[in-house]
Amino acid sequence: MNLTPEQIEQRMGKWFAWNQKMETDGVRIKTGDALQDPVRVMSGTDRAITDTASPETKELIGGFYILTVNDLAEATKIAEDFPDYDLGSVVEIREIQVFDM
Amino acid sequence: MSETKVPLVDHLFRHQYGKMLAALTRIFGPSKLEIIEDAVQDTFIKAMMTWREGIPPNPEGWLMTAAKNRAIDLLRKLSAEEKRALKIDSGTTAIALGEVFLESEIEDAQLRMIFMACHPSLNPRDQIAFALKTISGFSSKEIASALLLKDETIKKRLVRARKSIASSDLEFKIPQGADLPSRLNRVLEVLYLIFNEGFHSGKKEILVRKDLCGEAMRLCQMLLKNSFTETPKTHALFGLMCFHAARMEGKLNEENEIIDLKNQDRSKWFGPLVIIGNQAMIKAVESGEYSTYHYEAAIAAEHLKAKTFEETDWSQIHNYYQQLYELQPTEFNLLNIAFVKMQLGKLEESKAILESFHPKDLEQRAYLYHGAFAEYHLLKNEKSKALNCLDEALKLVKNEAEKRYLEEKRESISIS
Amino acid sequence: MKDFMLIFMSQSYESQGLSPDEMQARMGKWFTWQQKMAADGVVKNGNALHEQRRHISGPDRVVSDLAATGVKELVGGYYVVTARDLEHASEIAQGYPDYDLGGTVEIREVMVFDN
Repeated sequence: MNLTPEQIEQRMGKWFAWNQKMETDGVRIKTGDALQDPVRVMSGTDRAITDTASPETKELIGGFYILTVNDLAEATKIAEDFPDYDLGSVVEIREIQVFDM
Repeated sequence: MSETKVPLVDHLFRHQYGKMLAALTRIFGPSKLEIIEDAVQDTFIKAMMTWREGIPPNPEGWLMTAAKNRAIDLLRKLSAEEKRALKIDSGTTAIALGEVFLESEIEDAQLRMIFMACHPSLNPRDQIAFALKTISGFSSKEIASALLLKDETIKKRLVRARKSIASSDLEFKIPQGADLPSRLNRVLEVLYLIFNEGFHSGKKEILVRKDLCGEAMRLCQMLLKNSFTETPKTHALFGLMCFHAARMEGKLNEENEIIDLKNQDRSKWFGPLVIIGNQAMIKAVESGEYSTYHYEAAIAAEHLKAKTFEETDWSQIHNYYQQLYELQPTEFNLLNIAFVKMQLGKLEESKAILESFHPKDLEQRAYLYHGAFAEYHLLKNEKSKALNCLDEALKLVKNEAEKRYLEEKRESISIS
Repeated sequence: MKDFMLIFMSQSYESQGLSPDEMQARMGKWFTWQQKMAADGVVKNGNALHEQRRHISGPDRVVSDLAATGVKELVGGYYVVTARDLEHASEIAQGYPDYDLGGTVEIREVMVFDN
C-alpha cells in the first residue's frame, strides 16, 4: 500500500483515536499486536517453506486485538470503528475458545 | 518425529464416544441420533483442543461431564412439545440425567444400542457399518478401510440405517421375553461378522484387523455382563473369538503374508487368550445345549491343542464338523468336511463331497473350492491337474494375501 | 530475541470428519508439541478460535457471517513465540501437528513500537 508520509501520519492518528475510544467505552483490550509484512508460510508434510517479501495478497493479516466483551454484537460494534475499511481492509471477528465447562 | 506417550488409555476417545452416544440416545431417543452424533463430535473437538494444554486428572469424568452439559444444552433447545415426548419430568431432569450417566446405566444403554444396530428392520449390510459407527466410534473412513469398501458406500449405509431407525420408530431398549432369543442371535451374528472381517481380512495393516477383532470381542464381553444376554451361546462365541484371536499373530509372517496352518509357528500362538477362551467354554457347555459357535470353538480348540500339524486329531475335528453341518447345512461347511477327509486319507469320500455342490454356491469364497480340489490332486500326485485347479482359484481370488499364498503354492508345485 | 506469531490455517476440525481415535492421536501430538515448547520456554501466549466467523468490510461496514465449513484456510488459532530470528521461529513451527491435514503455518514477526 503506497501511502504518503502525511497520509500515514493521519492514519496513525485515526488508529490512536480508535484505541482511545475503546478505552473510554470501558472495553477491556486484553492484548493486541501489529504484524510485520514479510510472510513465511510452511505447509505440507514435508514442511515446505514459501517466503513472500512484500505480499501481493489482498488479505494479509496486519494485526489483531483481543477484546473482552459481552457478545458478538458488542464486538461488531467496536470493530465498526476500525479505521481502514476505506482501504479495502476487512475485520474478521472470532470468539476465543474458553475451556471451562 | 518421535511419539511421546500421552498419559491416556488407548482408544479412550473411541470407547467414550460409544458410551456418550448411547447415554444421550437414551435421553433423547433414536430419532435424534444425528443431532446427538454432532453433539458428541463437538465434545471431542473441545477435548482435543483443551487437552493440548494439559490433560485433566480424570479424563473420563471430564468427558462425561461435558456430555451431560451437552445434554442439558440440547434439552434447552427442544420445544416444550418435544420435551413432553421425551417423558422426562422437567422437575427431576437433573436427577434423571445424573442417573443416565452412571456407569451401570451407560452399560445398559450401550446394550440397547447394540440391539438397535442389529434390529431386523435394518438392512443386514447396514447393521455392521452402523454398529461400528455408533457403538465402536469408528469414522466412516475407518469403517470403509476396515471393510475394504469406499467411504461413500459406508456413508450411504449409515444414512440408510438412520432412516430406517427413524421411519420404523424403533424403541431404544433391550428386547424382552419371546423376542429376545432371535434378536440376540442376530446380535451374535453381527459380532461374529465384524470379527471375521478382521480375522480374514486381506487388509495389510495388522492394526486395522486387530481393531475389528478387538471390538467384536469387547462387545461380546458387554453382552456377557448382562444377565439377559449372558447365554451359553454368547459364551461360546466369545470362546471361539478368543481361540481364533490367539492364532492371529502366528497366521502372518513379517511381510503380512498368510502362513497356512501346517507351517505356522505354534509358539507364536497367544496363550493367555487360549486360557480365557477355555474359561468361556466351560460356562458355555454347562447347559448341554450346543450351538454352531460351540462346534466351531471345539474345532478351533483341537487345532490349538495339537503341538504340531501332524498331531492334529482330525477324526475328532471330523466329528465336530459333522455336527456343525447338521445345525448349519452350508456348502462352506461341506468344503471343510472335504478338507478334513483329505487329512484322514479318505480321498474318494472327499471328492464325492466336493462334487456334490458347485463352486458358485460358495459365492466370493469360490476360489477355496478350487483350492481344495488342488489339494486333492496333489495328494493323488496329479500335479498338472492340481496346477489347473490353482489357476482356476487364482482367477477368482480377490484378497491379496490369499492370492499371494496361492501363487506361492503354485510355484512350489511347478518346480518340485 | 523477537516475537513471532505462528498463525495456524486449515480446515476446521468440525469439517474434517475425524474419528474419535484420530482426535485422540491428534490431541496427543499437540500436547507433545506444547510440552516441548513450554520446556524450551518459547511460547508467550496463544489462543484457539471458535469456527464461527463474522466479517466487516467496506466504508458501509457491511457485516457478513460466513460459514467455516469447507474453508481451506480458516485461522484456527495462533501462538506468539519468542525466537532469535525467522529461522528459529520456522524451526519451532516444524512441530505443528496438522500439516498432514493440509494445515499451514504462517510465520509473522510482531512489530515492536518503541517510543
